[in-house]
Amino acid sequence: MTESNERVPIITISHVWKYFGHLPALQDVSLEVSAGERVVIIGPSGSGKSTLLRSINRLEEIDKGEITVQGQDIMSRENDINLIRRNLGMVFQQFNLFPHKTVLQNLILAPIKLHRLSREEAEERALGLLKKVGISDKANVYPAMLSGGQQQRVAIARALAMQPAIMLFDEPTSALDPEMVGEVLDVMVNLAEEGMTMICVTHEMGFARTVADRLIFMDQGQIVEAGKPDTLFTAPRHPRLRQFLNQIL
Amino acid sequence: MPEPNDTHSKGNIVMVTDGGSIPDPREWRLINAWSIALVGAVCALFALCLLWPEPYLRILLYLPDGVLITFKITVMSICCAVPLGLLTGLGRISRNRVINLMASTYVEVVRGIPLLVQLFYIYYALSRFFQVSGITSAVIAISVCYGAYMGEVFRAGIMAISKGQSEAARSLGLNRFQTMFYVVLPQAWRTILPPVGNECIAMLKDTSLVSIMAVPDIMQRARSFVGTTYLYFETYTVIALIYLIITLVLSKCVSIMESRLNYYDGK
Repeated sequence: MTESNERVPIITISHVWKYFGHLPALQDVSLEVSAGERVVIIGPSGSGKSTLLRSINRLEEIDKGEITVQGQDIMSRENDINLIRRNLGMVFQQFNLFPHKTVLQNLILAPIKLHRLSREEAEERALGLLKKVGISDKANVYPAMLSGGQQQRVAIARALAMQPAIMLFDEPTSALDPEMVGEVLDVMVNLAEEGMTMICVTHEMGFARTVADRLIFMDQGQIVEAGKPDTLFTAPRHPRLRQFLNQIL
Repeated sequence: MPEPNDTHSKGNIVMVTDGGSIPDPREWRLINAWSIALVGAVCALFALCLLWPEPYLRILLYLPDGVLITFKITVMSICCAVPLGLLTGLGRISRNRVINLMASTYVEVVRGIPLLVQLFYIYYALSRFFQVSGITSAVIAISVCYGAYMGEVFRAGIMAISKGQSEAARSLGLNRFQTMFYVVLPQAWRTILPPVGNECIAMLKDTSLVSIMAVPDIMQRARSFVGTTYLYFETYTVIALIYLIITLVLSKCVSIMESRLNYYDGK
């Protein structure tokens, strides 16, 4: 990580509230993420971690507070959310590949329609990405033919095809069979080593420990504790984090 | 606290309406309801014409012009009703309150009025303001009527596509329109095709109503033949068999198209 851009906030989340009906899903959450930083969010289910992640690219609309991405307020009418989203790659728990398109078509759809890349350029980039995630031989098959782990790697490649500045991962390994978790995490670790800014919601504590610059523990819609992963794992201050770690480790 | 992403999306194959008249594309046994009906109808028609060329063959030869008209009205109505249905379906799921209300009101009004009344209304009642030919008013009435029914089919088909699909598309930066046309609709089409095919076949049958407005379709040709010969039994037997053969062949076409759309299932 270079010292120069470490302190530049690429995402700022300030005093964000989000309600589902009367239930507060996020309560006064504030967070800054620097360029090149790897943030991992953990917490029990229903703690609001996915909601927070999905708020960053406005898949969930926040009710109060402000979120900026690269200095642009995502809720402002003046900023085109579709342009902001091009810089925010997202990987979902359920992969959400387009089943009616081949792997290659999944990767080139958005670049062709949005960047107006030529088909050749988009395909070249896509094949490079497929090689990177280790499935270049599956370019012309439909997603239904792939294993879960392969599908999730394609989904990562699809998000990368837009050359985003930031990657958001929403429990990317939670829907996978245990033996496929590793192959997806490997891709994510490689991505982290390349210096990609990443925010990752996960239950994979090993991954959190090795990759995260900062670990965030959320519970009941709030950030309860944040810091270096080693500190949080070895010396948790908050009783709720201690209880959570006891349950999962 | 609900975390929407935690819910597992189900498969997107949903029966939108009763697809009863479309043969199951996986049904490959030789003897099934569809083949019995088709072979029966064709044999019956042949037998009648061979055994008693007078009057059956004469009736049969009197009808081809009517078949053409029936097809013409049906094809023109499909060309208007399918886009209208798509617009209505999109309108019904629109977040714009005005568009949504307009589409919903259209569906409610049209579904509450029998097609025959709509036909009469356009042909006779509206003739006070403007004159339209029988065929034009038939196409308008049938399109308006079936557009509303198909709107519901399109709406249900679009809603059956899991939310994750549009979220994935939107997160890549595609706008609402691009998401609908590149990601959601191509998938929804698979759910939509059987009921839309059914509606089109029902439409072909309903074109028989236009005979009342002196449009020379199959039914009107039959009625004029009966008018001079009084051969009610013979004529309407032939008519029924012809309609049956046409709809059976069309339903098989829809079924073949349906199986072609299953290409990405990985089976």
